[in-house]
This record gives sequence, structure tokens and C-alpha cells, in this order.
Amino acid sequence: MRKYEVSDSQLISLYKNGSEDAFTELVTRHKNKIFTTIYMIVKDHDLAEDLLQETYVKVVNTVKSGRYNEEGKFLPWVTRIAHNLAIDHFRKAKRYPTIVLEDGSNVFNSLEFSEDSIEDRQIKEDTHTLLRELIQELPDSQREVLMMRHYMQMSFQEIAEVTDVSINTALGRMRYALINLRKRMDKLNVAYDKNLYPE
Amino acid sequence: MIKTFTQNDLIRFVYQETHAEENIEIETAAIFDEELADELNALKRTISALDLVERTPSFKSIDKILSYSKSYDLHSSK
Repeated sequence: MRKYEVSDSQLISLYKNGSEDAFTELVTRHKNKIFTTIYMIVKDHDLAEDLLQETYVKVVNTVKSGRYNEEGKFLPWVTRIAHNLAIDHFRKAKRYPTIVLEDGSNVFNSLEFSEDSIEDRQIKEDTHTLLRELIQELPDSQREVLMMRHYMQMSFQEIAEVTDVSINTALGRMRYALINLRKRMDKLNVAYDKNLYPE
Repeated sequence: MIKTFTQNDLIRFVYQETHAEENIEIETAAIFDEELADELNALKRTISALDLVERTPSFKSIDKILSYSKSYDLHSSK
């Protein structure tokens, strides 16, 4: 995991004091994790874009009106807002709120691969689609912990509290999620793919 | 005596939830214990794969968010 010279809480303090640059850094720093959290729930790129904007409207309103709680960490707080908005969307649409993944038809992250050939890009897209499907195939309890820890950046203690289990159970679910994912990646021969681990 | 670690300890380690002292113990043990080093590497590779499925929002969305923040005082005073 990446370490930053200026922490999120320092950036929030700067933002509260009027630094829009600090806010730009915060948004840029976490945009992918938050967007991925939303996308994995709604499975629609345009809708995920809308919900990302809605999430940050809430963030801006909360921070600028002085209602931001300094005790919590910034990223878990924002991802929880995003998660709740995505789930609310399903409730309003009377759809079952489960984490769903793409069917492979969407273009994935084309900017990131702009220097690759069309064929290379297709291979990477296919690999990433496959990985998303592997995550989707995990048992609910394992996928939930994996999403909360990896994408929502909640601590195992926080996950244990939210899901009403012991911290050892939360850790165990994460462990099995990673083991299962690894096994499936090995089985499908994607584990050491050069697209995943470039030298 | 070399300390043994549970699988849950290793999960906490790769997600940086272990204490400084535990970090040193695990890192030291991994130098002498090939099996432990392999386990840690496998965990790290799987976690790296999770980062690769991240998606990126459009520049347009990010611009809208930043613009909303910059103009907050205008729309909040209405």
C-alpha cells in the first residue's frame, strides 16, 4: 500500500482552511478506489460516474459546513458514503443490492493502456474482467470482507464491528478470500501473467 | 527461538495492521524461513492483482467535483 508524504488528515485540515489544491490531491489520490467500490455494486459506468459525483457533493458539503468528524479516517468515510449511495440506488430501483461485475463488454481503463497495441489492450481487458469475475464468484461473506478491507480501506477491527463477528473471523474470511482467489487464478493460469506482474 | 506466526498474522502484516515490533519479527523470520517468505509473496501478489481491477473515473467527473468544491460558497449562500 502506498504511503504519502502528506497524510489525508493533513490534507483535510488544509482543505478546511480553504486549500482547493489539498482537495484536488485528496480526490486524485482516492478516485480509483472509490469509483471501483461504486462500480462493483452498480455495474454501470455512467451511473458510477454520477454516484461518484454525488458522493463528493456530500463530502464537500460536510467538510465545508464544518461537520466533518476528525476522528475517522478520510477514505473509509468517503467509501462508506459511496457504498451507501450505491446501495440506495438499488433500493430505489427495487433491485437486490449485491456486488455485481461487468460482462466484459465495457472498455476498461483505456487511458491507462494508451501506449499498448490494440491486442495488448484486449488481453489486459480480458484479464481484468476475469479477475473481477473471480472476485464476484467468492462466497458472499468473503467477498464482503475483501471489498471492505481492500477497496473501502476499513480496518479488520472496523469490519468485525460492522459485520458483527470477531476480528479473527474477519481475518479468516479475508484469508480464505485471498486463498480462493489465488487458487482460481492459478487454475486459470493468470497468476504469473506478464500483464499482471510486469518486469 | 524462531517465533511462529498464524495465517491471520500474515494477513494483518500484508495489510499493514501489525505493530512495528511484529513487522520486524515477521520480516526477520521470512529471511530464514523460505516457506514463510513464499506465503508472504503469494499474498502480496494476490493483493496486487486486486489493485489491477480498479477502474478510473472520467476526467469530466473529477472536474465537476473540483468545480463544485470551488463554487461551494456561491451555491451554499443561495
